Amino acid sequence: MEKLLQQACKEVDSAELFRVKSKTVPVNFEVNRLKSIDISESEGKALRVINKGKIGFSSSTGSEGFDLMVEKAAVTSEFGSAASFDFPEEAKRSEKKKINIYDRKVEYKSIEEMIKIGEDILGRVRDFNRKLRCDVTIVKDCNEIEYFNSRGGNFSYSKTAIAYSMMVQQIENQDMLMVYSSIESGEDNLEVEELTSEIIENLKWGDKIVPVDSGKMPVIFTPKAALVLILPIISGLNGKMVLKKISPLTSHKNKKLWSDLLTFYSDGTIDFAAGSAPFDDEGIEMKRVSLVEKGEIKNFYYDLQTAGIAGVESTGNGLRAGSQSEPVPSISNLVMEEGKVSFSEMIKDIKEGIIVDQVLGLGQGNIISGAFSNNVQLGYKIEKGKIVGRVKDVMIAGNAIEELKNIAALGDKAKWVSGKYKFPHIYLKSLSVFTKR
Amino acid sequence: MREILEKALRNKKNSADYIEIRAEKKEVTTIHFQGKKLEKINCSQQTGGNVRALVKGGWGFISFNQFDDLEEKIGEAIKVASLIGKEESELAVISPVVEIIKRQLDKDFRQISLREKKNLMENYNNIIMKSNPLIQSSNVIYTDRFSTTYFANSEGSYIEQEKPFLSARFTAIAREGDNVQLASESVGTTKGFKIMEKISTKAQKAAFRAVNLLKARPVEGGEYTVILDQILSGVFIHEAFGHLSESDFLYEDERMSGLMKLGKKFGSPKLNVVDDGSIPDLLGSAKYDDEGVKTKKNYLIKEGILTGRLHSRETAAKMGEEPTGNARALNYRFKPIVRMTNTYIENGEVPFKDMLSGIKKGIYAKDCYGGMTTFEMFTFSAGEGYMIRDGEIAEPVKDVVLSGNLFTTLLNIEGVGNDLKMIESGGGCGKAGQGPLPVSFGSPHLRIKKVVVGGK
Repeated sequence: MEKLLQQACKEVDSAELFRVKSKTVPVNFEVNRLKSIDISESEGKALRVINKGKIGFSSSTGSEGFDLMVEKAAVTSEFGSAASFDFPEEAKRSEKKKINIYDRKVEYKSIEEMIKIGEDILGRVRDFNRKLRCDVTIVKDCNEIEYFNSRGGNFSYSKTAIAYSMMVQQIENQDMLMVYSSIESGEDNLEVEELTSEIIENLKWGDKIVPVDSGKMPVIFTPKAALVLILPIISGLNGKMVLKKISPLTSHKNKKLWSDLLTFYSDGTIDFAAGSAPFDDEGIEMKRVSLVEKGEIKNFYYDLQTAGIAGVESTGNGLRAGSQSEPVPSISNLVMEEGKVSFSEMIKDIKEGIIVDQVLGLGQGNIISGAFSNNVQLGYKIEKGKIVGRVKDVMIAGNAIEELKNIAALGDKAKWVSGKYKFPHIYLKSLSVFTKR
Repeated sequence: MREILEKALRNKKNSADYIEIRAEKKEVTTIHFQGKKLEKINCSQQTGGNVRALVKGGWGFISFNQFDDLEEKIGEAIKVASLIGKEESELAVISPVVEIIKRQLDKDFRQISLREKKNLMENYNNIIMKSNPLIQSSNVIYTDRFSTTYFANSEGSYIEQEKPFLSARFTAIAREGDNVQLASESVGTTKGFKIMEKISTKAQKAAFRAVNLLKARPVEGGEYTVILDQILSGVFIHEAFGHLSESDFLYEDERMSGLMKLGKKFGSPKLNVVDDGSIPDLLGSAKYDDEGVKTKKNYLIKEGILTGRLHSRETAAKMGEEPTGNARALNYRFKPIVRMTNTYIENGEVPFKDMLSGIKKGIYAKDCYGGMTTFEMFTFSAGEGYMIRDGEIAEPVKDVVLSGNLFTTLLNIEGVGNDLKMIESGGGCGKAGQGPLPVSFGSPHLRIKKVVVGGK
């Protein structure tokens, strides 16, 4: 790769090459039986150049000529944005701690073994109820990342991931109960029980449909549903949105906006979390970046280019959506600090309210404004401190920026969601709930 | 390419019940303006392929970027298929085809310089940014893609198809204090560059709508009679109903297929719904689908009665119906699955002004931010909304999110307009991780009673 870069630098001032090689093996069970194993091998290269102070970019899959890539990148640099940064001269970690992200056992896990795990999951849930329609996916992923730039910065690493996920449907007449859950790790340490017990608990709670009236009421978001409230904030803390003043949070840095209970950070150094790596995708050290502390915005997150324009340092959040794209500010892992109240205490505290576990339309609509409006796909009614059944045809709506001011409590047990988010239960004093009744 | 694919197949074709190889070469250009700035300008080339093998009813699939060891890849696909296959392979019979399909473009975008494309989009971006002082930012995203797909199977078919695609999406972001609103307009086409040169009205409209939304108050949640414009109706029929017509999830699920039983009443006799991949040059069109099956016009609902559904060769065989030409793959990374092509509601008779009459308090919902469904439940965010008061369109409202149950909602359609419009937007359809797949959809205006609208 270094040779290729030397070649590129005959045409342009400086260059960076990012290469990904990956193999993904997903074992899919559909409707209670093994259905498909679609193996994906891929290879991709992204070339970013700085020429006459401007950024150019091109990408290709493994087999295309590198000459053409250089030519395209040089052409695009003619109209490119003015570069507000230089490629880093070295990719170096200041922290001594090694970040573990690769597990050989994941890479070499056999397809036969993965099939067995899937059958085990299916068996446990079907033992609970034979009439369920279950889909299960066991997927392993292995990535090799290589990075070089013409100023000397370089790094490479291998990373593994394994995930078990399950979707269960129970259809009766025109009603459908749908429950899904997944667990993910970089390490081969997942417990089938963790997945199946959550699914079975939800199926028990959801067996009976109960009515609920429209109005403002207390609402508990499970860790799985917490993104409804946090996604608008994540998008508002994006350095790029702030720089462009699109974010309503732009002028609120170091101001207290939300409840004291709210503290969360971006952290790419957590062992075996999905968003972890020694460096972001442009050679900047991954670290823990405090975003919100006790309700106060501490930092926005940046990549090199956005940070350069804003006159701040990159926070190591320059991530790419695959080998075909340039880095943009993105969250590596997001961790929210736990509170002190258990889920069952929250339930006991509520006279009449709902629990939201799964929603339709996450991230849909005008999320940057903070607004959300979602159909509750899976939710439960609480009456006099007890879960009494499942709610149907219910919508919730509000503005995350406003609602997070009124957190009644946070759960004492945060849970990883999608491998990169760690959330506790979030209990809101009052939220708008609508139903057909 | 033909030689490579056919040679690999020759040596392996008897080791599975069915084998196909698909390959794809494409060149993609993306130009993205955000605010006053050119955010991204990007050219990429991709070559990739995949093998799909069927053994005793089990499919093996592998996708890749390197073609050097194609026979080995076929071997791997067969091995995986054998782990899965435990029954009879079933595929609807079609006759093998050998055909090479070239596309004529009104103006070939491959011949237009990057500079010219960039200048044109810059111009549209300026229209948005300069239209109103309240416009805070913009997104103008242009993409063109010329791909050639290659298909060869163990039954002797070989099909090469050229698939051009262009899209432009204009988003205007308006802001007043902490009130931030956005509105989007988009265009997609397969026909060539010409249309891209004449869309300044779209840019103006996006800006106008975003500014207008600043004044809009959040809609009051509740149950309303709603009129949907052609875009939102089109999205509704695609998302809420169309996906349920996709047989891949139906054929293995007795309960779901019970709900979707042919002959069942789904709406009033005025309701006709069609999916047709054979309409020339629309976004969802192709002469052959990704299994080499010829596309055609398929009625899904005829005079209110469920009459058809969409198939791949496998679902057609399993359900004992004819293949419909709806097996589509987003690209070489994916297996073909049952997808819509161009889906629309046929014209009814009600003129738009008659639709409004008699509505005391209702909502006119236009355009769409996005939609999502899970089986019979759907939810859509309208891009633009107005109250209807005493039969007249009244003040603008925002955060209009419609949700409900498909079956009830279809039966609640009270009026089908006479102004069908096919929508070719720059977005696309997502399913099973495959998106955005180019599709078009359309409808006349629809009037629907008892729709739940979420809001403050």
